[in-house]
Amino acid sequence: MIYREAGDFKTSYSADQQTFPIGFDRWTVRVVVIFAFLVVPFLINDYWEKSILLPFLIWSLAALGLNILTGYCGQLSLGTGGFMAVGAYACYKLTTMFPEVNILFVVLLAGVVTALVGILFGLPSLRIKGFYLAVATLAAQFFLVWLFNKVPWFYNYSASGQINMPEREVLGFIVSGANAEPWATYLFTLLFVLVFAVIARNLTRGRLGRSWMAIRDMDIAAEIIGVPPLQAKLSAFAISSFYIGLAGALFFGVYLGAVEPTEAFGIDKSFLVLFMIIIGGLGSIAGSFIGAAFMVLLPVLFKNIMVGDFGWPTDTVQHFIFMLVGGLIMFFLIVEPHGLAQLWRITKEKLRLWPFPH
Amino acid sequence: MDQAAASEDILLDLRNISLSFGGVKALIDISFDIRRGEVRAIIGPNGAGKSSMLNVINGFYHPQEGEVWFDGKLRGPMKPHQIARQGIARTFQNIALFRGMSTLDNLMTGRITHMHENMFWQAIWKGRAEKEELAHRERVEHIIDFLEIQSIRKTPVGKLPYGLQKRVELGRALAAESKLLLLDEPMAGMNLEEKEDMCRFVLDVHDQFGTTIALIEHDMGVVMDIADRVVVLDYGRKIGDGYPDEVRSNKDVIDAYLGVAHD
Amino acid sequence: MSPAVLNTIEVFLNGLMAGVMYSLVALGFVLIFKSSGIFNYAQGVMALFAALTLVGFQTGQIPFAHLINVVFGTDYHHWGEGMNTVLAIILTMLIMILLAWIVEKLVLRYLVNQEPIILFMATIGLAFFLEGLGDLMWGANIKVLNVGLPSGGSFWWEDVTRTWASEGSDYYGMYIDVLDVWAAGIAVVLVVALTAFSQFTKTGRALRAVADDHQAALTVGISLRTIWVVVWSIAGFVALVAGIMWGAKSGVQFSLSLIALKALPVLILGGFTSIPGAIVGGLIIGVGEKLFEYSVGPMIGGATENWFAYVLALFFLMFRPQGLFGERIIERV
Repeated sequence: MIYREAGDFKTSYSADQQTFPIGFDRWTVRVVVIFAFLVVPFLINDYWEKSILLPFLIWSLAALGLNILTGYCGQLSLGTGGFMAVGAYACYKLTTMFPEVNILFVVLLAGVVTALVGILFGLPSLRIKGFYLAVATLAAQFFLVWLFNKVPWFYNYSASGQINMPEREVLGFIVSGANAEPWATYLFTLLFVLVFAVIARNLTRGRLGRSWMAIRDMDIAAEIIGVPPLQAKLSAFAISSFYIGLAGALFFGVYLGAVEPTEAFGIDKSFLVLFMIIIGGLGSIAGSFIGAAFMVLLPVLFKNIMVGDFGWPTDTVQHFIFMLVGGLIMFFLIVEPHGLAQLWRITKEKLRLWPFPH
Repeated sequence: MDQAAASEDILLDLRNISLSFGGVKALIDISFDIRRGEVRAIIGPNGAGKSSMLNVINGFYHPQEGEVWFDGKLRGPMKPHQIARQGIARTFQNIALFRGMSTLDNLMTGRITHMHENMFWQAIWKGRAEKEELAHRERVEHIIDFLEIQSIRKTPVGKLPYGLQKRVELGRALAAESKLLLLDEPMAGMNLEEKEDMCRFVLDVHDQFGTTIALIEHDMGVVMDIADRVVVLDYGRKIGDGYPDEVRSNKDVIDAYLGVAHD
Repeated sequence: MSPAVLNTIEVFLNGLMAGVMYSLVALGFVLIFKSSGIFNYAQGVMALFAALTLVGFQTGQIPFAHLINVVFGTDYHHWGEGMNTVLAIILTMLIMILLAWIVEKLVLRYLVNQEPIILFMATIGLAFFLEGLGDLMWGANIKVLNVGLPSGGSFWWEDVTRTWASEGSDYYGMYIDVLDVWAAGIAVVLVVALTAFSQFTKTGRALRAVADDHQAALTVGISLRTIWVVVWSIAGFVALVAGIMWGAKSGVQFSLSLIALKALPVLILGGFTSIPGAIVGGLIIGVGEKLFEYSVGPMIGGATENWFAYVLALFFLMFRPQGLFGERIIERV
């Protein structure tokens, strides 16, 4: 009965196009954000940080990035892992070259570097489409990972070929390295995710977002009514790569701490993020979060139940999850191509009218 | 300076346009003009080259020969989106709406040539981007009122019936507030009532906004009623040009429509 | 001839042989793409699945043994000594046909008229599903597949090539795996058989009709669903052949499914709808990546086979977006 819009009349266009048009939604989101910032840091422990909250936040950021490119602009990319690697290595190189620069800016700069690389690999999209473009992004995936493996400059000539994140501070609190407290890494990541989620929403609601969607829905018509394809596609590649670069930098710097490119940024990561946005919802900001939550929580859940409670071997459970995820992908593409976000929206529509659906 | 370019009341002047794909000649040496504020119809049997003509006008096809003068200037090599920015909007024969977007967003996309706030301000949103958005929303709402599509404002256009889709597409073209509006068979596949509605909209647009319109239409009754002047194409050639009455009595035109054998 | 030239020739030949494998997988892609417009990412996993199943039958494994054991606390692994190879191949083929039928029944029929990119993503889902299923059924350990094909280096060829070397050089002769030669031979037979099938049988004609125009094919009474089952069965057969070859060469393991990705650049070079294109594209990629690794690889750290094919395809696309044998695309509105 609380969840309704009856009587909630919009009297201005700006009120009509706000992000959460329903009062109850607005309050829920506010409460969740306040809870995430003020309460969770006091409750968080190592397990929640490492297995749930950090992966969820970081993958959400990557999913937002891919969703901008694939969900909004319609350009299929299988190079997410490679672009995350760029973010991670840019972060590493920058912070080891300029240790005095605040890690906040280093992470942002890593995003900018990734955006530039993204533009470079996005250039073919001006001539090629669909699967053909998927191949261009595959080239990025394999070439970039290979590059970080083979050129010693990238890993500062370390003997193991790995990169290790040095300890860095923000406002006197350690956010990276072995001594970082869970609450500090969590808040640091949360800040990025929240700010850039808002920015993603802003970018997709206005001119830029509409020119992406126009290109996605019908590229020729879009160009004829005045959407410049070059600008639209390259901006999508740049912004998407920026987000993915941020995610890569945080994944390496804050979450893993040490990284070996083939392991951490392989093609499986590209697929993982793609699955997140399919399950969550193509072309939806909320969907990116829902998809990331789903793909992060599902394995944890299954491991806890099947390995923990039933005592099944881990690899059997792993295969089970593979089947389940594959099945779900097909299910969603068939039944609800707009993913969980759309299901949620439909539920809300029903809720609004409940209990009098007519 | 040229006499046509000097002449104030000619908006678009096509001179000796020839277009071919490989060996197929789609348009052969076609010249005609469109005056400011008129409704110009392009008619002809299937495959006459009407749609190709529109595609040349908005720059999707580049003719091998000939010149396009728009608004007193000779057009150089340009991309379609630049030409849209000069003030040419159009609808398509097979509806080319952005199916994943709502009616409102489709119309707002039509205004894209008028929106300029850069990426930075859009990321911030509050302030300049929002102000721009609201200003354009106001214009779009005006068109929504005009076309009587208020109730489907937020419906994804993919879910709309055909007739409404056509109307939304007209709305998207109107939103551009262009100097020249190209309509490619705006009434194709409609029933009588829908046709009458559409006719009314086209005429109202013309009256209220004073937009210059070039349209392709098969329904002769409609064409003769609403067009100021008519161009007739057949097999890529121009076979008639003039006021509806002149064209109606032109022998070549009658032959083309009745299918007299070409010798 | 000097050893350097001979070495290059050897690299070239080995590239050709590797290319045959790519061609075999690409062939499965082309078949499905032509008849249904689906780019079947799962083709590689189908090869893996087929190979796993074949080994399972051969060695007499019990399907889902792991799962059964953990659920019921039993300790089953095998039900006997295994079976005759020919019988196992036939049974595996039946499984692949069953799979084609299930895929059509549960997935494809609901995705008719969807955009190609959605279909592509659906097959990625299918690939994951099959991979999980295959591992769950037969276990994820690397298996040896032996169907009785000869393998190992050819001594005859080594002797012949040794005599080509110029006097006084200590050239050992070229190495070429007999298995690769067999694979090439079987690939040729397969292509000829498929071409004959599509040219001279009724089903083949129906197949080509569907490839040309779904709607038109439907109106003359061709059942799209039957055709899809047939095509996916044939693709399953091609996957089985590819799985046998690849499995015999380097064991049945996960990397098999990654050749699906390599098939993408192959198809870009050859065009998505051309069987000869798939063959030529596969050979070009195979030879190209081996020669590149041999000549440029040592200078830049090696392992260039990981990306060479994709980058080659990328460059190629910049100049000829429609592929080697594809038709020029004219855009319309």
